[in-house]
Amino acid sequence: MTTKNHSVADIITRNRVWRSIFRQGYPADDENRARAIMNSWFLHIHPVKVKLHSLKLTYTWGLGVISFVLFLILVVTGAWLMFFYVPSVQSAYTDIQNLDTAVTFGALMRSLHRWSAHLMVVVVFLHLCRVFFTGGYKRPREFNWVIGVLLWVVTMLLSFTGYLLPWDQLSYWAITVSTNIVGAFPLIGEALRQLLLGAAEAGPPALVRFYALHIAVLPVVMTILIGIHFWRIRKDGGLSSPSEASENEYGDR
Amino acid sequence: METGKTREPIQEVFPRDPSRTYGLMELVRGTSPMVDKGPEDTVMSWPNLLVLELLAALGTSVVLLLWSAFVKAPLRELANPNVTENPAKAAWYFLSLQELLLHMHPALAGLIIPGLVIVLLMAVPYIDRSKKDVGIWFASKKGRLIAVGSAVYTFIWLLGLVLFDEFVRVRSIVAEPELWPGWVIPIIVVGGLIILLYVVIRRWRPSRREVLIGLFTAFVTTYFTLTIVGIFFRGMGMHLVWPWDLPPGALPF
Repeated sequence: MTTKNHSVADIITRNRVWRSIFRQGYPADDENRARAIMNSWFLHIHPVKVKLHSLKLTYTWGLGVISFVLFLILVVTGAWLMFFYVPSVQSAYTDIQNLDTAVTFGALMRSLHRWSAHLMVVVVFLHLCRVFFTGGYKRPREFNWVIGVLLWVVTMLLSFTGYLLPWDQLSYWAITVSTNIVGAFPLIGEALRQLLLGAAEAGPPALVRFYALHIAVLPVVMTILIGIHFWRIRKDGGLSSPSEASENEYGDR
Repeated sequence: METGKTREPIQEVFPRDPSRTYGLMELVRGTSPMVDKGPEDTVMSWPNLLVLELLAALGTSVVLLLWSAFVKAPLRELANPNVTENPAKAAWYFLSLQELLLHMHPALAGLIIPGLVIVLLMAVPYIDRSKKDVGIWFASKKGRLIAVGSAVYTFIWLLGLVLFDEFVRVRSIVAEPELWPGWVIPIIVVGGLIILLYVVIRRWRPSRREVLIGLFTAFVTTYFTLTIVGIFFRGMGMHLVWPWDLPPGALPF
C-alpha cells in the first residue's frame, strides 16, 4: 500500500484499531483475498477458492443461500416481534392487533416474519429437490443429505409452532386440526396430543408450549443443524460437481 | 499452487509418432487425481462467491420487503373454540396430509405415510451409492424422461383418485368394517400404484439412481398436487369446489 494520500478510507483503515480487527489489506490481490476469508470468523466457513461449477446459477439456483438468508430475516424480525408479544390467551391477540396498528413498523415486521416463514418452507423444499435431482447426496455427502432432510422437517415444525401464536381463528383451528391428526395415532396418539397441548384442548398451556418451542427449542436445534450442515459442506469438498463422477467408486453395479 | 504440469506449448493429445511402437488401443472412463481439479477450475471466493451470496441476500430482502409492504400478514377474529371454522384447514404445507386424511385412517395418513417418506428420503444416499453421474441434473436423458413420465403418471392417477373418492366415494361401496376403507383399500391402491410405477420404470433399464428419480418425482408430484388441491379446491366440509367458489376465509393464509 502506498502512503501518499490522506483520504477518508486511509484515515479509517491506517490505524492500530482497524489493523487489530482486520489483519489484511484491502482484498485487491489474491493473497489479501485469501486472508480476507481465512481471517474472518464470518467468512472462514468458505474455502479460499471455489469450483467455478459451484457458482453456476443453473446448478444451485442459490437455494441454499436463500434459505439461510430467510432464516436470518426470521431470527431478526422474530426477536423484534418478541418485544411486543406476550404468549397468554388474554393478551396474545391484542398484542398482534397493537403490532398492526400502534407499533412503529409493527405491521411491516410482522408481515416480513410471516411471508419469510412461508417462503422458507418453499425454498428449503426446492433446495432439497435440487440436491436430489443433481445427485448431490452421493458419497461423501450422504450424512449431510440426512441433516438436510432433518432441516426441512425442523423448518416445517418452526413454521407450525409459530402458526398458533397470533391466537386467531386461523391459528386455533389449524392447530386443532393438526393435533387431532396426532391424537388419532394408535396407542401413543392421545398422550402425544396432550403433551403438545398441555391439556385436552388448545388453550393457555398450548400457547405457552408452542411459544417455548418456537422461540427457544426449535431455533437452537435449527442453528446447530445449520452449523453442522455448513461445516460438512466444506469437509465434504464443497458442492457436488460432475468432476467427481467415477465409474467404479463402489462395486455397486 | 504448482501442479507438476509441464510448461511446454499445447500439443496434440495423441500425436502420431513414427518412432513409437505402441498406439492408442482404447479409451476408458476414469479420472486421475488431478483431472478437472486443477487451479484453473477454481476462482477466489472473494469476490466471486461472496458477491453472489450478497446478491442473493439483497434480492431476497428486497423482494420480501416490497411484498410485505404491500401485502399485510393476515389476522382473523379472536380464537373462539365455540365457532368452528368451515373448512378448518391445517397450515398449507400440511394440507397434503390433511388431504390423505380424507381418504384413509388418520394413523396411516398422519403418521405412517409421512414417517415412511422421511425415513426413505434419509435412506436415499445409502440406496444409490454409485458415483457415476454426480452433479448432473436428472443423471441422464433417460433420467429426465423417467422424471417427466413419473410426474405425468402420478398427476393423472392423483386427479382420478381424488375425483373418485369425492363423487363415487370408496365408503359408499365398502363402509364396513372400518379396516377396509381405512386401511386395506388405501394401502392396496397406493402400494399398487407405486409398484406399478416401479415396474414400468424398470422397463427402461434404468440405473439405481434413475429408479430413485422416478420414485422421488412421484413423491414431489404428490406433495405438490395434494397441497394445491388442499389450498384451492377444498371448500365447506372439505368438499371439492372451484377456487372461485371457495367460501370466504377458506384460504389457509
